[in-house]
Amino acid sequence: MDYPINKDTPTIMHIDLNSCFATIEQQAHPHLRGKPLVIAAYSTPGGCILASSIEAKKMGIKTGMRVREARIICPNVIVRDPDPILVRDVHKKFMQICGNYSPDVVPKSIDEVVINFSQTPSLQKGLKNIGIEIKKRFRKEIGEWISCNVGISTNRFLAKLAASLHKPDGLDIVDYQNLKDVYSTLKLTDLNGINVRFEARLNQAGIYNPLEFLNTDDVFLRKQVFKGITGHYWFLRLRGWEVDDFKNKRKSYGQDYALTKKTDNIDELKKIIIKLCEKMGRRLRASNSCAFGIHLGLVYHDWTFWHKGHKFKEPSYTTQELFSKIMILFFQQPNKMIVSKIAVSCFELKPVFDIPPSLFETGIEKKRKISLALDKVNDRYGEYVIFPALMMDMKNTILDRIAFGKI
Amino acid sequence: MQEKLFEKISVIFSYNSEKNIAIPYKIRWQLRDYFIKKLAYHHKVREGRELFHIFHVTDGNLDFKLRFNTEDLSWILEEISDGLPD
Repeated sequence: MDYPINKDTPTIMHIDLNSCFATIEQQAHPHLRGKPLVIAAYSTPGGCILASSIEAKKMGIKTGMRVREARIICPNVIVRDPDPILVRDVHKKFMQICGNYSPDVVPKSIDEVVINFSQTPSLQKGLKNIGIEIKKRFRKEIGEWISCNVGISTNRFLAKLAASLHKPDGLDIVDYQNLKDVYSTLKLTDLNGINVRFEARLNQAGIYNPLEFLNTDDVFLRKQVFKGITGHYWFLRLRGWEVDDFKNKRKSYGQDYALTKKTDNIDELKKIIIKLCEKMGRRLRASNSCAFGIHLGLVYHDWTFWHKGHKFKEPSYTTQELFSKIMILFFQQPNKMIVSKIAVSCFELKPVFDIPPSLFETGIEKKRKISLALDKVNDRYGEYVIFPALMMDMKNTILDRIAFGKI
Repeated sequence: MQEKLFEKISVIFSYNSEKNIAIPYKIRWQLRDYFIKKLAYHHKVREGRELFHIFHVTDGNLDFKLRFNTEDLSWILEEISDGLPD
């Protein structure tokens, strides 16, 4: 099947807050503005940098670097812990502003949204004008230091690409008129979804730049390069046709924690595991789901890794149920070593209403109801007003964090 | 440098009905008065049924993070920073 380049009027807008965590910190703390700033998971030398300010980026400090590496590049770099509550508040305001223009606003992460303007009255204003207006409103209603990149196109892929063209504070439109010009200035890895491995695969097929990628035949992409339907999706995506308009269904809930004090003491590890289970369980119950699958991952002090997942016949819903199953997996470790990181997750989610009550274990229903009641108490009077006894002295361990690509 | 404090402080708060602007006017911390020049960011946080207003303000020399508890009407100075590396 041969598709031409999409010549429709662009209706998709991608908005990306510039250096989100760092810019928001600079907004809240005026003395940090105009200075190299990094937001790191921990301010210790080994802490991972989650975001760097525009000033720090200009010096070459990137996300994913360690604090010590940033200090080598710039000894005066300012290091701050993330403030998830502040960032979520900005996200909320950001979503409210975008929601004034279209009912179809989808957050892609804490700092990115996609707005679909098709069949909305806002379209008459022109997307470029709306983009300019949204930028002004961010500055006025959120804060004068908040800037964003706006990308406009016919599909989500090209809108994101357009938003990445002129950082920071850019506004670009990619349509059939300038599509080839834009591609001619980019590398394959500049395309969202093409990493070094995909690039190597494309290179192997004789494709070395986005323009050659665009000019490649659909059948060749499907049968020779990607060996599947993915090739066809790329063929459409590159031409401005929408293939990414879907919502991901949640398949799991998970929590992890890097231990500040590495240990093999079972009592210490149990305390951390129960807290992780409580946090995970709260999210699981809030979604009215229960989980049949449980997974435990452990990173040891020598950087070796052990993990195990298991599907159980009976569902887990309460923190106690999750904890007891995680501990079953924990005791299956082949070697008990000093642990430096713990990750727990639950999968195979089902709506809790679909689970028939057990004929034999009558106490389970009661325990689940108590668990829900405890969540309600904590919702009303504050997190961890009531908690499992094992969690004593754990209130400030395991901090709130915003995961990459999540809100 | 940033310092986390969580100390109770005295605050004079002002509200301008014409401009609809609500901002701390003066804070007293460790027997010294600081006149607030700018509100950098304001947001609300709920902890259970308690509602807190968080004010990020500056007096021009220092940045302050203030927490107002709407339940008992108290003010906490959560942190101060001067924008210099630690």
